[in-house]
Amino acid sequence: MIENQNDPFGCNRRDFLKSGSFATLMTMMGGVELLAQTEATPGSPSAATTATFKVAVIGLGTWGREIINTFALLPQADIAVICDTFPSALRRAGKDAPGAKQTADYTTILSNKEITAVVVATPTHQHKEIALAALKAGKHVYCETPLANTIEDAREIALAAKAAGHQVFQSGLQMRSDPQSHFLLPFIRSGALGQFIMARAQWHKKTSWRATASTPEREQALNWRLNKSVSLGLVGEVGTQQIDITSWFMNANPVAVTGFGSVLFYKDGRDVPDTVQAVLEYPGGVKLSYDATLANSFDADYQMIYGSDAAVMMRENKAWMFKEVDSPLLGWEVYARKETFYKETGIALLADASKGAVAGVKEEAPKPFTTTPLHHALSAFTKKCAAVDDFIANFGSDDPAALQSNLASSHLSPTAGYLEGFHAAVTAVKANEAVNTGQRIVLKPEWYELG
Amino acid sequence: MNTEYRMKTRIWIAGTIALCALAAAASRGAEGMTRLDASPGKDMKVRLEGTSTIHDWQAEGTIISGFLEVGPGFPLTPGQSVTPGKVPVHAEAFIPVRSLKSIEKDGSPYSEKMDAFMYEDLKSPPNLRIIFRVSELTLKEAPKAPDAPYVFEAKGELVVAGVTNTISFPVNVTPLGDQKFKVTGSTSLKMTDFHIKPRTLIGILSTGDDVKIQFVWPLIQKKPEGTTK
Repeated sequence: MIENQNDPFGCNRRDFLKSGSFATLMTMMGGVELLAQTEATPGSPSAATTATFKVAVIGLGTWGREIINTFALLPQADIAVICDTFPSALRRAGKDAPGAKQTADYTTILSNKEITAVVVATPTHQHKEIALAALKAGKHVYCETPLANTIEDAREIALAAKAAGHQVFQSGLQMRSDPQSHFLLPFIRSGALGQFIMARAQWHKKTSWRATASTPEREQALNWRLNKSVSLGLVGEVGTQQIDITSWFMNANPVAVTGFGSVLFYKDGRDVPDTVQAVLEYPGGVKLSYDATLANSFDADYQMIYGSDAAVMMRENKAWMFKEVDSPLLGWEVYARKETFYKETGIALLADASKGAVAGVKEEAPKPFTTTPLHHALSAFTKKCAAVDDFIANFGSDDPAALQSNLASSHLSPTAGYLEGFHAAVTAVKANEAVNTGQRIVLKPEWYELG
Repeated sequence: MNTEYRMKTRIWIAGTIALCALAAAASRGAEGMTRLDASPGKDMKVRLEGTSTIHDWQAEGTIISGFLEVGPGFPLTPGQSVTPGKVPVHAEAFIPVRSLKSIEKDGSPYSEKMDAFMYEDLKSPPNLRIIFRVSELTLKEAPKAPDAPYVFEAKGELVVAGVTNTISFPVNVTPLGDQKFKVTGSTSLKMTDFHIKPRTLIGILSTGDDVKIQFVWPLIQKKPEGTTK
């Protein structure tokens, strides 16, 4: 079972090391920081002149504004409309998108022929209505993750996206678009870590999750994450990204989940736990231990995957490998950059450093983020939308097979589609259920079937 | 039913009939000409290759729309006997500029910044497409082997970044049977001929003036409406 998990591409560790020998060696030796896409700072005035892709952002909370700010860095995108039902949210986001029209009614966006795509960044339980309407209106849709707060709603969205063959639907599993993840994927799956043993992920942040507002109604709407009837809690709303990326590396959906959750610190009447733990079981017995808290920020967020030969830690946009003393020598690690973590030595796993090595770039301190996973996800989304629109403009929409064939050969960056989004939503919903009940829930394979 | 409504209905019907007639004529091609349309799929590709003071660069696109209308003398079936010489032709090919993407040598995406530079140099917008209009097509020689392509010389106007130049280059035409065709070719251009200045970055990197273009353009002779079962 484990061997199969480690060999989803039909390659083994030897193949991986052989096929990637030079590039991998240069990558490992390069000593360049872990940013996978070593491009110049985007968003120059000259780049903005190529903006032809008009997008609307619906839902202007903290994350919606992050999306707006990220779109502002993308040369190929132009935020034409922003939408929120709260005037203050519109005004605040309007400062980041000064050229965008503002509306409180998302249906006006759907009837606007200029808008090619919409981003749905509303509270999770409001995704379905907007996503379905946007798909029906012929828009490309980027829907934040989790897709919905129930399996039924997530399935409905995914089925509608599947039926909309000439439209792009991307779920907000942004780490699946991150080149760093794509660099690590074959490394981990090829068996370079030995046999999978376990995985661990955490998200620690000192924040109440509660916001104040001028009216009780607004406060209730604003604090939807603290409303147990609609919120998927820490494990569903935050943990879904880290759990999904672990499932992706494992190449399997979890088969069971056990959860625990308590309101330990913010005793303000909330019933959504401020601290959660969950154990997700994968085929073969490997388990992911996940914990998240709003009451302590120590060590922030990261993911680990442990194998019999080595462990890999993923933190922000970097990754390191920690080898066991009895593990086989891979070769390149002798020359690789190493960093000390307490009593351990981490070997930097460097994505895309070969360009830097060729160009003679010297080892240097990590740069600040210029390309976040969200940046990569939105960039990939806009490029895929443009590719679909160009194809249909040139060849029509009569031949879906030709469209898919064309997209497959169009050098597009990877994205998470409706199926990945649906699977992540199923896991999120059930993990939250396990946290709330403190029980072990067997995840039935049929729950993950789209139908 | 009021008069205005009847009038609108007649105009709509007349318009529809006219559009259908135009569409039918388009599928037949001009008198005595055979029309081949671009057939999208995984084989369609245009590739640009250039140089710089640091390393070579490459970009690819997968959309070449347009059509090729040809007269007698063009091989429509594999192995068809044809005589070298000029072939009546009317053809246009279009490449959306933003469909071109900078890539690594292994085909993976290179950089959206480089894409932005490329679109800017190609002055898109406003020039959203690269256009090639064929004015002459000359069969240079009949193929020497049954599976060898027919070698033509294509001459026409190439519009890049809004600047038009007349160019000619060899193209290989292979009738694949089942009314499918593969047209391939390559030519070298100078960016400065299209008023594109070689780009210089931070004083140490500059791109070369020469750019090589290669393409694979699958075509299909569509069956006229009403002939399919």
